Amino acid sequence: MSLAATNAAPAAEEPGKRLAGLLLELARCVDPTVAATLPSRLEADPRLEAMRGVLFEREQAALTRLQRKFDDPHEFAAAVSAVLPAAFALAAQHGDTLGPAIAPSFERAAQASIRKDPQTMVDILYPVMGPAIRKSIAEALEGTLQSLNQSLKHSLSWRGLKWRMEAWRSGAPFSDVVLSHTTVFRVEHLFLIHRNTSLLLSHVASEDATTRDPQVVSAMLSAIQDFVRDSFDESAEGGLSGRSIDSLRLGDLLLWCEEGPSAVLTAVIHGSPPAALRTRMAETLAAIHDESRTALDAFEGETAPFDNAEQRLRSCLLSQASSDERRRVSPLMWAVPLALLLALGWWIGQRVVEGQRVDAYVAALREEPGIVVMGAERQDGKWLVSGLRDPLAMQPEALLAKTDLPPERIAERWEAYQALHPAIVLKRLRATLNPPPTVSLTLQGGGIRGDGSAPPHWIDKAKAFVQALPAGAPKVDLADLKDVQDPDYIRLRDAIEAHVIPFEHNAPRPAADQSGTLDTVAAQVRELVREARSLGFSVRVTIVGHADASGKDASNLALSLGRAEVVRSMLRARGVDPALLAVRGAGPLEPLKSSASATASANANADELSLNRRVSFAVSTSD
Amino acid sequence: MLQKKICLLGAFGVGKTSLVRRYVSSVFSDAYLTTVGVKVEKKLMTVGTQEIALILWDIAGEDEVSAVRVSYLRGAAAFLLVVDGTRPETLETAESIQARVFKEVGRIPFFVLLNKADLEHEWTIPAARMDALASAGWTFRRTSAKTGDGVEAAFEDLAALFAK
Repeated sequence: MSLAATNAAPAAEEPGKRLAGLLLELARCVDPTVAATLPSRLEADPRLEAMRGVLFEREQAALTRLQRKFDDPHEFAAAVSAVLPAAFALAAQHGDTLGPAIAPSFERAAQASIRKDPQTMVDILYPVMGPAIRKSIAEALEGTLQSLNQSLKHSLSWRGLKWRMEAWRSGAPFSDVVLSHTTVFRVEHLFLIHRNTSLLLSHVASEDATTRDPQVVSAMLSAIQDFVRDSFDESAEGGLSGRSIDSLRLGDLLLWCEEGPSAVLTAVIHGSPPAALRTRMAETLAAIHDESRTALDAFEGETAPFDNAEQRLRSCLLSQASSDERRRVSPLMWAVPLALLLALGWWIGQRVVEGQRVDAYVAALREEPGIVVMGAERQDGKWLVSGLRDPLAMQPEALLAKTDLPPERIAERWEAYQALHPAIVLKRLRATLNPPPTVSLTLQGGGIRGDGSAPPHWIDKAKAFVQALPAGAPKVDLADLKDVQDPDYIRLRDAIEAHVIPFEHNAPRPAADQSGTLDTVAAQVRELVREARSLGFSVRVTIVGHADASGKDASNLALSLGRAEVVRSMLRARGVDPALLAVRGAGPLEPLKSSASATASANANADELSLNRRVSFAVSTSD
Repeated sequence: MLQKKICLLGAFGVGKTSLVRRYVSSVFSDAYLTTVGVKVEKKLMTVGTQEIALILWDIAGEDEVSAVRVSYLRGAAAFLLVVDGTRPETLETAESIQARVFKEVGRIPFFVLLNKADLEHEWTIPAARMDALASAGWTFRRTSAKTGDGVEAAFEDLAALFAK
């Protein structure tokens, strides 16, 4: 406008010129730039200046005052400070532009303050930071403990190994994998409750979850919160400042409360939710606060502004069904302990059975005469049975074979000793004496009794043996044994003893015709020796030389011995073992009984003398 | 849905709980009154086309030993003070409660329910006292838990206060 007026001025007439001048003056007053570029008419006409002084005196004074206020920094600051709080309040009402505008300045101010003296900021933040840190640590610990518990519980199972594989494949922490598999829970209800009025802002429930009237329930929840806070929290100064119930557990039912400045989000959960749910709740509540701060602050019972909060709450209606795997118990999980149990049972059973068998074996050993068991114990995985054993006692191996014990499980150590048990003594008698079949040796009343018949030499031997038994040995009664000789032996003995080799007077050699008799004797002696040997004893044939009573006794004795020696050598020449042949000279001392001596006739005497010139044979047994 | 928190207050034994019992939908047992000290009930009202849910906090009666928990009053939009017409001391308790509520939550509307209207001939509260209180802004209503007189009307008036 002022420019249009300037352009229009030269074209105008005299009155117009004046009007233009006036307008220019006005323009100068309004716009200082015009005043700088255009010459003032006041210089041309001083009356105008005077008139202005008269007309605008008051305004000029006010303007000057204002000018001073603006120009003087102190005055200007004082003026602004008076309106600043109101200005901030107004600006906050008009929208959210103030915050972002002053945020950088505040940040710089805070930084400067901290640089200058951190203690100030620490003092300011202390009441906030303490509880915040405590809460954060508590929650972190709770989460860690939860995952630690789960991890421990599952780290050793078959499933645990599988999850470890999964964690390794996916790169996720093992505890997260465990949680994702094991946590079984369901968020059934979510109540968004206005903190100040305890009125229900929004409520969502999972399908088929039932509850009483949610509005009433939410109020009652708040009442109980207040009740607990008032009753137990000494720090509560009534109302909103105190701490609140964080969680409530009732059996399987869990109540989690997440508190915001204006609203509380309460979740009713079945089972054990993961800590992640808590985080989700906190985020949701923060988002609702962000979105509806004004509505929350202004809330007076109308819930319509919170209709869209329901959508947010639904994001917290999490649930984790138990996996099928959880219900279906892996057969391997049962098989492994079952197999271990079976193996253990089998092993114990084996031990018990083996112990019983060893006991039975030892008992059988103890029953056996001639065996004294001193000990039976496990040693190096085997059973060591030790004691004393008579060599004639039963072989332990024979007894062992009757049991079901494997021989390699048993080691034995036996010291030899001589037992006096009747059965062993009997065995010893049998072993030593080799009784003929006609003899029966039996145990009778703690002693041994011999019955039947035996050759006399055996009986003599047996009696000698019994005599030599140690004191305390069982009594051996051989009195009933009949002395019976072998018939062949008797026949041969009698036949040999019946032979007489006659001699001529004073002749040391038998007559030549006696050769046949000697052959017979030699054959019979050989047979006798064989026979006796087969019966188990040896025989001795004594060749007895005789002489008649005529002549001197000394020469007769020598003659008789000479005759015996001759016969011995003749028998030897006929194949008889000379060791078995003994010689004896009887002289005239053993005359054959003759009836002639009684008659005392000369002929008879001659016959008698002739009869006594002879060699006879005597058979004896020897050992 | 418009909801309003209403507190039901009064001295011990004035009949608060029996007064509202048949007009509200009750979820919790009376045991809460003695344990937690409050029992929440709901009364659905329709004013014109608007539905209003009155969330009634039936707060345990006050006596010499137990004072009303002020934290239960927080956020209340109105309250009902119940007085037993036959026991003048319950009016004094009501006065003390009213003063405390105003201090705690501000000047919110309230009605005084003079209960046991069926026993009006036994009332011992001096009329002058009531007039004085009425002039101080108290609104008295006669109710009877026994006959149910005046209870529904009191709720209706209460709802009308909040209807837009």
